[in-house]
Amino acid sequence: MAVIEGALVYSNLLALLSIGLTITYITTGVPNFAQGTMAVFGSYVSLTLWLLFGVHPYHTIPVSFILGGILGIAIYTVVLRPMIQKEAMIVILMIATLAVDLILLGALGAYSETLGVISGKGTRKFIFTPMDFKILGADAILVISSLAILMLLFTLFLLLYKTKFGIALRASMENPALAEIMGVNVEYTRIFSWFLSGSLAAVAGTLLPFRQEIVPATGAIIIVSIFAASIVGGLSSIYGALAGGYIIGMSESMVTFYLSKVIGPYILVYSKVISLIVLIIALIVAPSGIAGLEIWRKRVWRKSSSS
Amino acid sequence: MLRAEKLSAGYKELHILFEINANVERKKITTVVGPNGSGKSTFLKSIFGLTTIHSGRVIYNDKDVTLTPPHERTKMGIAYLPQVDNVFTNLTVEENLKIAGYTLDNGEYKDRKDLALDVFPELEYRMNQKAGTLSGGERQFLAIATALIRRAELLMLDEPTAMLSPKFANTIFDKILELKDRLGLTILLVEQNVKKALEISDNAYLLISGRVAFEGKAEELLDHEKFEQLCIGI
Repeated sequence: MAVIEGALVYSNLLALLSIGLTITYITTGVPNFAQGTMAVFGSYVSLTLWLLFGVHPYHTIPVSFILGGILGIAIYTVVLRPMIQKEAMIVILMIATLAVDLILLGALGAYSETLGVISGKGTRKFIFTPMDFKILGADAILVISSLAILMLLFTLFLLLYKTKFGIALRASMENPALAEIMGVNVEYTRIFSWFLSGSLAAVAGTLLPFRQEIVPATGAIIIVSIFAASIVGGLSSIYGALAGGYIIGMSESMVTFYLSKVIGPYILVYSKVISLIVLIIALIVAPSGIAGLEIWRKRVWRKSSSS
Repeated sequence: MLRAEKLSAGYKELHILFEINANVERKKITTVVGPNGSGKSTFLKSIFGLTTIHSGRVIYNDKDVTLTPPHERTKMGIAYLPQVDNVFTNLTVEENLKIAGYTLDNGEYKDRKDLALDVFPELEYRMNQKAGTLSGGERQFLAIATALIRRAELLMLDEPTAMLSPKFANTIFDKILELKDRLGLTILLVEQNVKKALEISDNAYLLISGRVAFEGKAEELLDHEKFEQLCIGI
């Protein structure tokens, strides 16, 4: 049972991260390799508030959300937008996000040292698990991460389908040139998508230490699973990213666990290999990811209804 | 209303149009015809600012708009409807109309929407349907309806009847005529259905290899003894 709970928590967090990655990919065409470290940024925001002000990490979620969003906007406006305006190729943008990732990693490393000196506690490695509690018999992290996903989906639904700005956002995702012709300021929608992506990453980062130990380089490890989830999801659909998060999260946790039973516990270190194998199998079955399956389903449906 | 003066344009280094002089009269239908690859669509795109202008000018309502960005031209009342990708297929019909009225306040949007649905009542029954599920003809209706909501005065249509059944094509031509007669719109039309387009047009231009080969009244071109040879570029 504990394994399934752990797998669900991990999948919830992966879904938050892959939805963020997919949103910025759809709106700006940037595959963001810094998404994992943006999450670790959120972990350090919560650690700081805990160590310096005694705020329980769960209570730091709103602060993490806002600061993560600001970081997202900063990465887009300072680094990526000038390159996009000069028509940089996708490879260049990808390398730029790798550079951002390394800069963030360095900054977080230096910050963790400073925080350690100020607080007088070790901050290079940390975990929030001892601070967790039970809600109705389940670990609070399971309830809170599941609530975070549900709230996100509900809010996204309201925003995207019930507000004028949300319709503009969807229009800009589908055809930015046409949206511009209609008078939509497509740039606002891009900035908003980076805010949202940064916020979701930071919230996932606040919750991640309840499941695993965090070091500044954790982002470089989880980015493999984030990309796997987004690609399995098709990189073009928010719901695809959600499904991708659960497919990769559950298979990575469960398969690794059962393999460790059969082969031995040393296999746990190689859990990311499982993500990549699932990614390859998923892409052989559905080359365009889950979003592609949806398009295929519609085509079949149209064919059968027209014949 | 709109003038192209010695307009040479293309895509970066590629030259497609050469010193085009054209005049689109207010509240008239002007059709541009010509064989494939003659630069008809490029002409419309150049008027809307989507190509590289090598020389010449575009004058709209006595204002030089040669370098005005497309979204500014939209605000000035120019609407350009490309042949494909002219509606948001993942949005519903209602959402497409809402986006078209993005810059309008609620009251004005409602008035414009009522007007658009008055011209295209067919859309009223499709409001909650995704635009991607509409037939080709209905999509053209929706695309033109969005232009009406955007307060377009000059409507530029790039092959609106392409890939439509003859029945739907005729309906589109009837609607275009209605837009001119009832709403006083100015229409600049590029069409592959040459005869039918010229029949509803006031003026016509024939482009061949990026140059104007004929300009005058639409019926003159229709009655031209070498009409068919001209249209296929012989």
